[in-house]
Amino acid sequence: MIGPLPSFDRAADLEELLRALPPARLKDALDRTIGGGWRIVAPCGRVLKEGGDLGAAATIELTLTVEIDVVGRLVAPAGLRQGAEAAAQWLHLVLAGARRYQMASDLHLEAVHADYEALQAKHSALQASEARYRTLSAELERRVLAQVAVIERTQRQMFQAAQLAAMGSLAGGMAHEINNPIGFIRSNLSSAARYLAQLAAVVEAFRRGDGAQAQADCARFDIDFVLADFDGLLAESAAGADRVAQIVGSLKAFSSVDRAVGPADLNEAVRNAAALLQAQLPDGIAVTLDLHALPPRACDLARLTHALYALLHNARQALAPEGGTIAVASGVAGGEIRIAVRDDGCGMPDTVREHIFEPFFTTRGVGAGMGLGLTVANDIVRAHHGRIEVESAPAAGTTATICLPLEAQAGTGGHA
Amino acid sequence: MDERRGQLTVKLVYYGPALSGKTTNLVRLHDLLSAELIGDMMTLETQGDRTLFFDLLPVGFAAPSGLVIKFKLFTVPGQVAHDGTRKAVLSRADGVMFVADSQRNQALNNGASFENLAANAASLGMDLATLPLVVQFNKRDMHDILPEDEVRARWSAAPWPLFFASAMEGRGVLESFSALLARVYERLDQEYALGTAHRLSQAAFVDAVGRLS
Repeated sequence: MIGPLPSFDRAADLEELLRALPPARLKDALDRTIGGGWRIVAPCGRVLKEGGDLGAAATIELTLTVEIDVVGRLVAPAGLRQGAEAAAQWLHLVLAGARRYQMASDLHLEAVHADYEALQAKHSALQASEARYRTLSAELERRVLAQVAVIERTQRQMFQAAQLAAMGSLAGGMAHEINNPIGFIRSNLSSAARYLAQLAAVVEAFRRGDGAQAQADCARFDIDFVLADFDGLLAESAAGADRVAQIVGSLKAFSSVDRAVGPADLNEAVRNAAALLQAQLPDGIAVTLDLHALPPRACDLARLTHALYALLHNARQALAPEGGTIAVASGVAGGEIRIAVRDDGCGMPDTVREHIFEPFFTTRGVGAGMGLGLTVANDIVRAHHGRIEVESAPAAGTTATICLPLEAQAGTGGHA
Repeated sequence: MDERRGQLTVKLVYYGPALSGKTTNLVRLHDLLSAELIGDMMTLETQGDRTLFFDLLPVGFAAPSGLVIKFKLFTVPGQVAHDGTRKAVLSRADGVMFVADSQRNQALNNGASFENLAANAASLGMDLATLPLVVQFNKRDMHDILPEDEVRARWSAAPWPLFFASAMEGRGVLESFSALLARVYERLDQEYALGTAHRLSQAAFVDAVGRLS
């Protein structure tokens, strides 16, 4: 820290100015110029410098000025006036130079001091602002982290909600689909029981040796028809049981019971998802599959089945109630596995298409959908480093294509 | 005021943007004034036409009471970079002449310099509202200058006397300086009773320094 500075424009002081001059040279120059004794005196009378001996002879006094101020006197013998006047002349010049130097250097110090103080003030202002920003940045970071945690938690809840909703709507459809075969299997079994009683009666009559009764029963029960129908009942029931087994199998794949991340054939996901949808479709709607062999790829098959089911479900919603077609095609193109779900339904304008992946965006009425199907599908596909491309136009149908890079990258495996 | 030596030193500062003619004002005054005491003009370190430290013109006279009144007329460096120097020169000023550049393209620089004056004055504990201050629009000899009524309109709300000058031609320099002296007198009279104690009227005060040679 710099102490208090003398002001640069303070009154000129002879003693101070003389201090800036080399004393020996000054004395020598004055001795030579005057050629006798001399004295430099301050306004108060104090002798500042002297040379030689003035003795008792008469003296003259010449004023020494700086700027317009009288700063002192040069005293010399009266007999040496000419030399004394010459000395006063050059002293005037020398003092003016010393004064210039003193003012310039003092002003420089003052200016540097002022600049230094200004810098100090600026520096502390900067430090304060830096501290403020650092606090702000820490606070922001903390809030971002908190927000990210909220988003992740919400997303997980959303995902589970979507899964539950999908399962719920599936369960409704599946109950009907399973009840149907169970109904006709049960009815077939009761027919079979009746047929068995009739056959037993014929066999009983035959055993008794009552051929006439046996013949009569055969005719009465139309045993030929019974035998043929029995066969049909069994075949039909077996097919019904197979159908139930198939539905249960697809449901199992859907419900992540056997969840595993490993190389898998994505066509399996397509078939499972399609089977689940098909089971719920009315007669007017057909799902066609055009599947080409796909290389096995590390993936979460259950999750991808979900995603495909969501696309299929949407395609079905786009179709008119009276009917339409949904075509699913799979294949490899441009280093990607591509699975396209195309419908010839109502399509959608760009204004809708821009929002389809946003959570809770739905064009369906309240209660008809949560608006999460495509959001979750998109999340699943993105977790597999893929994307969903959507092409659509009003009344021209929609094609949604899942594109997955062939080689699974690190981190593939879907949601937490 | 140095009672012991019977001297009163008055510091007047010519302030303003770079190249507005502050030094030229002092050079003209040195030639025009016929004060009792008039020193050599001291010019410290210039670079081209630009003042790096300051210029100093000392003038003075003796009041009827014997009091010697000395004026030190300083200029500040106008360039933005030399603010520390400007502030040091401004400190302890008893009056300020703000020399503005009349050229149209200098209006912004004038404004910035005046704001700088206000800021430096405030940080030095000087109050522009009470500090004797005169505004001089210099360079009236140039082309493309703001017309007088436009300048007057712009400064109409300001409390300071407004003068037009051409320091190069010597016009308006003495008039604005005299106006500053008159204002300085009022201030000094309050403090040192120049009129009653030293028998020095305002007119005599202005005339003693600002008389044409």
